[in-house]
Amino acid sequence: MNTSEIKKLIISSLDASADTIEVARKLEEEGVSFNFSQNFGDRVLTKLFSAGLSVSREVEFIKYMNFAFYRIALTGVAAIVILIISIFLMEGSLSINSFLGLSDNYDESIVCLLTGN
Amino acid sequence: MMNNSYGVTKEKELIEASLNGDKNAFGEIVTRYQKMVARTVKGMLGDSVFAEDIGQEVFIKLYYSLSEFRGEAKLSTYIQKIAVNLTLNEIKRRKRFFTLFSQKANDEMYAFEIADQDTEERREASEIVNKALMAMDPKFRIIVTMRMLQGYSTKETAEILNLPIGTVLSRLSRAQEQLRNILLNL
Repeated sequence: MNTSEIKKLIISSLDASADTIEVARKLEEEGVSFNFSQNFGDRVLTKLFSAGLSVSREVEFIKYMNFAFYRIALTGVAAIVILIISIFLMEGSLSINSFLGLSDNYDESIVCLLTGN
Repeated sequence: MMNNSYGVTKEKELIEASLNGDKNAFGEIVTRYQKMVARTVKGMLGDSVFAEDIGQEVFIKLYYSLSEFRGEAKLSTYIQKIAVNLTLNEIKRRKRFFTLFSQKANDEMYAFEIADQDTEERREASEIVNKALMAMDPKFRIIVTMRMLQGYSTKETAEILNLPIGTVLSRLSRAQEQLRNILLNL
């Protein structure tokens, strides 16, 4: 097959009605083939089974981390909600001052507190 | 070398044996599907050493998710989905990396090698296909890889890519247009 025939074949593979299996076969005949290197399978098995223990440990670790993350995140959210409710109940509002605990303090009383007078 | 005693064993039995820790059974699955995975991964990433790593990752991921395979679809479809996902993730990762660190993004992202022993004509065909694929937008490239290299129908392509058939058909026609323009300049 010459270059223009190959190009036509490639374009025709995208026709909705194309016989794609036939196109793939023809292209493979023309040298368009993809393969992994020799002993690819052996390398996969070596990676899987010699490193199996460490890989499974890694997987277990990730699972535990995910679990721990959800527990910590949920506890954190619950604590924040409780804090907001308690501030609202104590201060009667959710202003920035009430969050910072400044709502009942006046400048004079802070000066007295700091200077001792 | 891998054991070939599983030559004619059915897929279901191979999966069960693999789940029971039989590494030769899983080796047979790798042997049966490695070429299919190579077409997807190398078609998308170019014929480089990185593609080989992704290929290995596909089978490692398959091994650890075999227990989740319910047998509703064909094993080949399941493997193909893993290959497509890992390959698209790798493309995204490379795109981020090369955008940050290199000006010559397209040249370096998809290096490909062609076997020296091939004849001139066969090398030319391979080169045309590789160059055309690498010049395409990844979302079209995956469609072309599924159709042209794997020989999948529109329905099978849609199933593997988790896309509606209408979307695949519209991408096919846009991919064809893009491919035509690319091939004109090759």
